[in-house]
Amino acid sequence: MSRVAWIPAGSVALLALLALAAPLLPLPNPVAIDVAHRLAGISALHPLGQDEYGRDELSRLVCGTRVSLAVAVIATGIACALGVLLGLVGGFLGRFAELATVRSMDVVLCFPPLLLALLVVTLIGPGASALIPVLALLYLPGFVRVVYAGVLSVRAQDYVEAMRALGARRARIMFLTVLPNVGGPVLVQFSLAAASAMVLESGLSFLGLGVVPPSPSLGLMIGEARSTMAQAPMLLLWPCLALGLAILALNALCDALRDAFDPQGRASPGRGWRALRAALPGGAPAPGPVLEVRELTLQIGSAAAHPVRGVSLTVAPGETLAVIGESGSGKSLTGLAAMALLPGGIEVDGGAVFLEGREMLRLDEPALRRLRGGRIAMVFQDPLSSLNPVHRIGAQISEALRAHQLLTRRAAWRKSVGLLRRVGIPDPERRARAFPHELSGGMRQRVMIAIAIANDPVLLIADEPTTALDATVQAQILELLAELRKERRIALVFITHNLPVVAEIADRVTVMYAGEVVEDGPAAEVFAAPLHPYTAALLASAPRDDGTSPVGIPGMVPMLHNRPPGCSFAPRCSRRAPSCEVATPPLNTLRPDRHTRCLRWRELA
Amino acid sequence: MAWLLHRVVVAILLVWVVASIVFLAIRLVPGDPATLLLSQGGMAPDPGAVAALRAQLGLDQPVWLQYLSVLKAALHGNLGASLEDGTPVVSAILQRLPRTLELIGAAALIAILAALPAGLAAATRRGGGFDRIASLLAAIALAIPVFVAGTLMVLVFAQWLRWVPAGGYVPLAQDPLRHLRLLAMPALTIALGLSAVTFRMTRAAALEVAQKDYIRMARAKGVAPPRILLHHVLRNALMPVVTVLGLQLGSLLGGTVLVEYVFNWPGLSGLLVDAVNARDYPEVEGIVLVISVLFVALNLLMDILYAVLDPRVRQR
Repeated sequence: MSRVAWIPAGSVALLALLALAAPLLPLPNPVAIDVAHRLAGISALHPLGQDEYGRDELSRLVCGTRVSLAVAVIATGIACALGVLLGLVGGFLGRFAELATVRSMDVVLCFPPLLLALLVVTLIGPGASALIPVLALLYLPGFVRVVYAGVLSVRAQDYVEAMRALGARRARIMFLTVLPNVGGPVLVQFSLAAASAMVLESGLSFLGLGVVPPSPSLGLMIGEARSTMAQAPMLLLWPCLALGLAILALNALCDALRDAFDPQGRASPGRGWRALRAALPGGAPAPGPVLEVRELTLQIGSAAAHPVRGVSLTVAPGETLAVIGESGSGKSLTGLAAMALLPGGIEVDGGAVFLEGREMLRLDEPALRRLRGGRIAMVFQDPLSSLNPVHRIGAQISEALRAHQLLTRRAAWRKSVGLLRRVGIPDPERRARAFPHELSGGMRQRVMIAIAIANDPVLLIADEPTTALDATVQAQILELLAELRKERRIALVFITHNLPVVAEIADRVTVMYAGEVVEDGPAAEVFAAPLHPYTAALLASAPRDDGTSPVGIPGMVPMLHNRPPGCSFAPRCSRRAPSCEVATPPLNTLRPDRHTRCLRWRELA
Repeated sequence: MAWLLHRVVVAILLVWVVASIVFLAIRLVPGDPATLLLSQGGMAPDPGAVAALRAQLGLDQPVWLQYLSVLKAALHGNLGASLEDGTPVVSAILQRLPRTLELIGAAALIAILAALPAGLAAATRRGGGFDRIASLLAAIALAIPVFVAGTLMVLVFAQWLRWVPAGGYVPLAQDPLRHLRLLAMPALTIALGLSAVTFRMTRAAALEVAQKDYIRMARAKGVAPPRILLHHVLRNALMPVVTVLGLQLGSLLGGTVLVEYVFNWPGLSGLLVDAVNARDYPEVEGIVLVISVLFVALNLLMDILYAVLDPRVRQR
C-alpha cells in the first residue's frame, strides 16, 4: 500500500477502535436524563455540555458514532457476503443462474436508493433491525456486479480451464481462483458501501425512521438538536462534525484502495510541454535544410535515462529521409521532438531542432502552433486513435485548415472535400460526413494524410504510417505519399522499421539504434554497402524477393537503464572485437553525408 | 432506430415490474388501511364500519382482482382517489411533482455551471493550486450528508446571518422574489454533493482524454488550446460526465425527501412519506409509479444523449 493510504486507513482504524471500545470508556450513561441541567454548557463532568434532556453530549457522540458505524458495517457485511455468493453463483452456473442472481438486481437498481429505504422502513417500522436488511439489500447489487465481472474475466483464463479439465470441483475453483482476484474490487466496494450506508442510516434516523430514541445515533442527534438550534448551536455542530469526519475518513480510504487496486487511475504526473523551454544550447541555424536536428538528447524525467542521445539529421527541401530502426531506437521520439510535441515526462537535455532555420525548441507555444500543421505536419501510426471519434472527417480536416487560414466554415468544408478527393477517397462529399469508425484503416490513413497536407507543409513527418495496414493498402499509401511529395515538393521524414518500404521511396537513410544514429548516407549506398553491422543485420532480417529466408538479429535492444559499456550493439553483433565492449565508438565521418558509428568499419568495409 | 425501440420496450416492462412489486409489497405488509382510517384517537373501530369501508374501497376483493382493476385504471391515466380525503391521486401528484422537479433542476443547473468549468480547469493545471483546493473541497462536500449540509445552512444563513428564511414555499406566480429566496438554500444544498461528483468525474475524464492520440493530433494540426479544450477534450469527456450526472439525478428523484423535510419544501417526497404512513394505497402506488416512470424515462434520455454525443453508439 502506498504511503498516502496509511492516513485514511489509520483514521478508519481509530474510528473502529473508538466504536468498539466505547462501552469500556469512562463515560457517563448516554441515556441518563437530567432535566435540571438541560442545555447546560461545558462542565468538568460534561466536557461538551448537556443536551435538551440534560444527557451528556460527549458520551452520546461516542455512542452515536458507534451505533451509526455498527449499522453501516453490519449491513455492508451482509450485503458483501451475500453479494459475493450470488456473484459467484451467477458467474459460474450458467445462464439461468445468471438471470436469477445478476439480472434480478437490476430491479433494485431501478429504485432511487433513499426512496426504497424509506418505503421499506415505513412499512416495516423504524429501528436498527429494519434498517440493516434494507441497507444490505440496497448495497447487494454493487457486490454482485463486482464479483460477477471478476468471475467473467477470470473464468476465461487458461488456468481455470486447466483446473476444470483436471477435474477440480466448481466450488473449489471458485474459492481458489476467483476470490483472490476479486478481493481488491470487493474491498473498494465495501468501503464505498459502508460510507454510503452511514449516510443513509443517519438520514433515516434524522427523519425519525432509523434508530429509535433514546439510544443515540448521529442522525438522530442532529434531528433533535435542530429544535434547540437557536439556544445551543454547538449541540448541532458536534454530531455534524463527527458524521462528516467519519464519512470523510471512509471516503478517503475508498479512494486510496481504488488507487492501490486500479493502477490505471494513477498515471504518473507528466510535466507536459511547458517544460520544453528549459535552458537549451543554441547555435546558429545552418542555411539550406528544411529540418536540421543537431545533437539532440532527450531524457526521461529527472532520471539519467536517455532514450535519444546526440542524434543529428538533416533533410533538404523536397528530399525524403528514412529514419529506420527497431522499436525502442528513439526514432519516433526524434520525430515528435521535431514537432516540439514530446509526451509529458520526456525533456530535452541538449541539442537543437531547426525548422527552416527557426529553433523549434526555443519557440513559445503560440509560435509553435502556427508552425505545426502549417509548415510542418505529421502523420501518426494509428489513424483510428488519432482521429477524434466524435467529429466528422470533414470537420477534422476543416479544423486543420481553419487553424492556419482565414476561411469560412463552408469554404473550409469544400476544401476538405477536395483534399479527400486528392488523397484518393471515392465519393468524397459523402465520406466527409462520415465518422472515423465508419471508414476502413486505409481510408483513415488517407484522411490523416489529407489533414497533414491541408496547409501545404514544407515538411511532412510520417511515423510508421503503414504499420497498422495490410500489405496491399501499405503499397497504396506509399504510392500516395510518393506522388504528393513530387507534386508539392514536400520534404518527407519517413520513420519506419520496415526496410523494403524505405528502399523505394527514400533519398537518404539514417539508421538509429538504442537512441543513437549508427549510420547514415544516401539510400542506394547504405542499402548496397552498409558500413555498420547493425544496418547489415537489419537488411538481412528483412523479407526478400529472391526467396532466401530472412535472418533475424539475435538478442534484444538494450534496456534504457542498462546499456552495455562500449558499443551499444556489441552484445548482438556478429563482428564484434574485444575493443568494441570497452570504448564507446564515435560517429566516424567518411564524407559530409556519410557516417558510421562502428569502430571496425575500415576493416569490415 | 431499432435500439431505441428496444430500449423503450425494456423501459415499459421495467415500469410494469416496479409497479407490480409495489402493489404486492404494500398489501403483504400488515396493517389494514380501513382500520387505520377509522381508528381515531386510539379507539378500536367498529368492525361493521371497517367491513363497510373495505367493501367501498374494494379491499374485500381478492388481491389479483384488485391488481387488475388498478392496472386497468392506471392505463387510462387514472391512479384512483386518495383513501384519506378522496381527492384524485393524479391531481395531488401534479401539484407536488413540479416543485420537486424545480428543486432538482435548479440544483443540476448550479452543479453543471460550477463543476464542469472547475473540473476542466483543475485538469488543465493538474496538481496546481486550484486543482488541490477544488479537489479538497469536493472531498469535503462528498463527506457531508445532504441533511447535515441543509441543517448547517439553516443555522448559518437563516439563524445567524438572517439572509434567507429558514424554509417554506411560496408559488412563483404569487411572489417571484420570495419564491427564489426560498428555493436558494435547498437547491444549493442538493447542488453541493452533485457538484462534487460532477467535478470529480469531469476532472478524471478530462485527464484521461488528454492522454489520447487525437489530442496530440489536434496539437500537431496547430489547433489553439482553448479550441482543443472545448472541441476535443470536453466533447469526449462529456460522455462519462453525463453518465454520472444521470445516475445522480435519478437517485435524486426520490432522494429529495431529506432536503424537502429540512427546508419544509412541500414536494413529492413529502406527499409520499405521508401517504405511506397513512397506508394510503392508491396514493403510494401512484407516486411510486410516477417516480419510476420518471426514473426510467431519465435513463432512456441518457441513452439517447449518448447516441447524440457519441456517433459510435448510434451504430449499435
